[in-house]
Amino acid sequence: MFYSYLRSAFRSITRNRFYAFINIAGLSAGIITALFLMLYVWDELSFDQHNNKYKRIYRIESDFTISGKHDRFALAATPMGPAFKLEFPEVESFVRLYADDNIRLSYENNQFTEKRIFYADSTLFSIFDHTFIYGNPDDALKDINSIVMTQSMALKYFGDKNPIGLSVQTEQKRNLKVTGVVKDCSSNSHLKFDGLISTVTIGNAIGTERFNSMEPVAFWNLGAYTYILLNENSNIQQIHDRIPAFYTKFMEPVGKQINASFNLMTTRLDSTHHREHLMGDLPTGNKSYVWIFLGVSVFILLLAAINYMNMATARSSARAREVGIRKVVGGHRLQIMSQFFGESMLLSVISTIIALALLFILLPSFNQLSGKELSYSLMFKPFMLSIIAGIAIITGIISGAYPALYLSSFEPMVVLRGTTTKGRSSKGFLRKTLVVFQFVISIIMIMASITVAKQIYFLQNKELGFEKENVMICELTDSTFRKKAPVMRNELLKNPHVLEVSTSNGIPGSVNAISVVRVEQKEKMQDMALNWILMDTSQVGLMKYHIIMGRDFDPRMGTDAQKAVIINEAAARKLGWTDNPLGKKIDFDIELDGTARYHTKVVGVVKDFHYVSLHNEIEPLLFFLQDRPGYYLTIKTDGINNQNVIDHAGKVWATLGSQNPFEFRFLEQNMLEMYSAEKKTASIFRISGILSIFIALLGLLGLSSFVTERRSREIGIRKIMGAPNNIIMRMLYREFTVLVAIAFLIAAPAGTWLLQQWLANFAFHIPISWDIYLLSGMLALSIALLTTSWHTWKAAVSIPAEAIKYE
Amino acid sequence: MIKTSELIKIFRTDEIETTALDRVSIEVKEGEFVAIMGPSGCGKSTLLNILGMLDRCSSGSYQFMNEEVSSLPEKSRANLRKQNLGYIFQNFNLIEDLSVFENIELPLLYLGIGSQERKKRVIEVMEQMNIAHRRNHFPLQLSGGQQQRVAVARAVVVKPRLILADEPTGNLDSAHGEEVMELLDQLNKAGTTIIMVTHSLRDAEYSQRILRLFDGQIINENINRKFAL
Repeated sequence: MFYSYLRSAFRSITRNRFYAFINIAGLSAGIITALFLMLYVWDELSFDQHNNKYKRIYRIESDFTISGKHDRFALAATPMGPAFKLEFPEVESFVRLYADDNIRLSYENNQFTEKRIFYADSTLFSIFDHTFIYGNPDDALKDINSIVMTQSMALKYFGDKNPIGLSVQTEQKRNLKVTGVVKDCSSNSHLKFDGLISTVTIGNAIGTERFNSMEPVAFWNLGAYTYILLNENSNIQQIHDRIPAFYTKFMEPVGKQINASFNLMTTRLDSTHHREHLMGDLPTGNKSYVWIFLGVSVFILLLAAINYMNMATARSSARAREVGIRKVVGGHRLQIMSQFFGESMLLSVISTIIALALLFILLPSFNQLSGKELSYSLMFKPFMLSIIAGIAIITGIISGAYPALYLSSFEPMVVLRGTTTKGRSSKGFLRKTLVVFQFVISIIMIMASITVAKQIYFLQNKELGFEKENVMICELTDSTFRKKAPVMRNELLKNPHVLEVSTSNGIPGSVNAISVVRVEQKEKMQDMALNWILMDTSQVGLMKYHIIMGRDFDPRMGTDAQKAVIINEAAARKLGWTDNPLGKKIDFDIELDGTARYHTKVVGVVKDFHYVSLHNEIEPLLFFLQDRPGYYLTIKTDGINNQNVIDHAGKVWATLGSQNPFEFRFLEQNMLEMYSAEKKTASIFRISGILSIFIALLGLLGLSSFVTERRSREIGIRKIMGAPNNIIMRMLYREFTVLVAIAFLIAAPAGTWLLQQWLANFAFHIPISWDIYLLSGMLALSIALLTTSWHTWKAAVSIPAEAIKYE
Repeated sequence: MIKTSELIKIFRTDEIETTALDRVSIEVKEGEFVAIMGPSGCGKSTLLNILGMLDRCSSGSYQFMNEEVSSLPEKSRANLRKQNLGYIFQNFNLIEDLSVFENIELPLLYLGIGSQERKKRVIEVMEQMNIAHRRNHFPLQLSGGQQQRVAVARAVVVKPRLILADEPTGNLDSAHGEEVMELLDQLNKAGTTIIMVTHSLRDAEYSQRILRLFDGQIINENINRKFAL
């Protein structure tokens, strides 16, 4: 019997190639989109779960309120891990990791700048799972100056040979001995590293006593990503409950001194990747995208299933006779339903196979698009295999359910007499409803694609309050070389294409200095934590920050270095200095004993500029003059011959004897990188949007063929009565136009609501304006009409006699 | 074999009520060949559909093999149908996607007969109907006469006790029509009961008894001269 169903299904496919093509193309497109999005979602949701003990591993995070400024960090203070181990029997072990995102290492002639190096406690390998290729996890990070590398990093320095016992050298001539080589970090691990250096090396460098200090002040200096491993039967709440006592014991004295309080936050390892953003965090994912993609994949699959349903019921009159015959010769309804399910299942399986083949071809492109590192082997994991099978089965069932129920309900004698009206009036309504639903989804997808693209354009082109064009940035990582910045400035200014050169410790996109300052308030000076940048006197001019009140730093004013501060408008507002902020006092660099090293006065107010991404509001910011060259060297060019400037700077750099190669980037590029996540999302949206429209169009193509076929007799009669082609075409177009119009009326408010949720992620965003509605509505309509044109035109120009002969 | 009394069938639409069968009482004995004749719209096909358990009467009684079937649930009727009845239609009603062999095999599949047995029986009946050489062809590749032979083969493959034929020669030229009638005649002679709706007197000649219907009523019942005692 099963074979017979299968055979019928095959025949049905080969006999009706046009409909089969539409169904298979639609289902394949739906399934591949769903598969990709599911892969993305699965990868996102399975972050860090490859660690066997992930349910017992928690990251310790810090929630500080210092002088009224509330900040939450992904980091914890150095003694926090050891103190937890001492105080809480629930803690079996802990590991601290200190990031070093800029370290230059060399082995013989191989020199590289490493961006993902951490100093890590030796306990790391007993908490996290890593596979050792060389070396022993138990003692790999025990000794001073030992380093564990990933396979890729080891390959880069040492080639294929076993590097255990060999050393790489730092710029400070410290030799780090390779004690282990591990497999590269899993792509869905939130803590990715290329190399790990033993933390005892830090102790060795700064003094063991200082490094291991348990003094209260040490608890207020953040530094390490700290993970604790709980005992089998403990839970994290037990620790949270005892934090007040812990605070009193270890942290309170300094807390009182600096008017601060601390709250412990913990995140279980598998939730770390989707933790809401904390300061100093490693790259995180955005959980809302996981839900968005999950929703999109379900809807796209539904679109494809609806195509199938529509096509199957539209063709019901063609199939009705077959059902009648099968019933007459003894087929039960259940048997007939099974047959139709067999057909939808077969199509679904064929489409899944095609989708899988495409997936294998397109996986590298998808990885590029999404920034993921999904591998082919993922497809063979039991979980993924069951997802694939699940998608195939569910698609088959959803697609087949309605046609099976509907077609199997035909009364044999009614359909054999050929008088069935089924599939015409009432079912026509259902079919139209389904088409409207498809267009609702498609229009929302178009709206989303346009809105996301517009928002990204807005982010990239918004007036930021400074000139981001033609600003080159070099990082002066070597503090000895940094002292030569003034000489470098003079040399660079000799180049006619260089307009200005400056150094600072913060540039837009990279302002991360924050500390407690003391500000003048009505009655007394008050402590407050604020962001600040140290800079030289050329920086404001170079960046074209707009001074709207007062003046810029003046190199001729010797006192500026100690006594001047420039604030932004947000700072003036926050401090309540709305009338005239000039001359107001700010004390800077407050020591633990409460004394301030610098007593400054506001000499200028700069117009608010976006120094962080447009996701965030502009916060108060202070500029102070630096007393020595800053970390960032900025070069403003005239933009006419940047290559000349780059070559020139490279030469100067080498002449001044830097150990490092000359590396630079443009500020504009720096700003764009802030929105790389959005750009990836936009690409995924665009492609899903195109696919969903493609699927809906396939459906429409099939349906228009059916509608014109069904109305061919009517068209014939109308033509005999004298109706011209254009009237006939208009009559047929009207049917589809009405459907798209209804869909638009539903999609517009629904899409607006959904997009508003997304836009709420940005402090600065575009409005959902009329052009988005107009564009998406017109696009949907024109695509719909274009798709139906072929059949409509064919019907309109048909020979009337032919048409009447049918039916 | 068949006994109806006071069968009434009324078709209702929103506005009109049409009496298709009006107190029809007939009896058909096992092994008989009965023709039903009458003008278009007189209720012939309706009567055939009710006798074939494809439709239900509005009132009255219908006994098939001494069992009252008018009120049986659909499933039991379907079971009775597939074991005892074979149908032949004017427009053949073959499934275009299935080959000759597969069309004939269909009722056996639904009866749950094993594949070896199915094959044997289909081949047997194809040979009997002289269509074995067309076994892999599809209906649209056959002439009308051949298609109707396939339809007859499909009707007899389950060895039904009763064959219901609705104008079996209506779509055939006279030569092919005669061929089909000869087949039915042979089946009848071999013991199968046949009830046939027809417009053609020539076809009716093959039957033993002719029921004449007019406006849903039996107005005349003649014994075919050939068979008259």
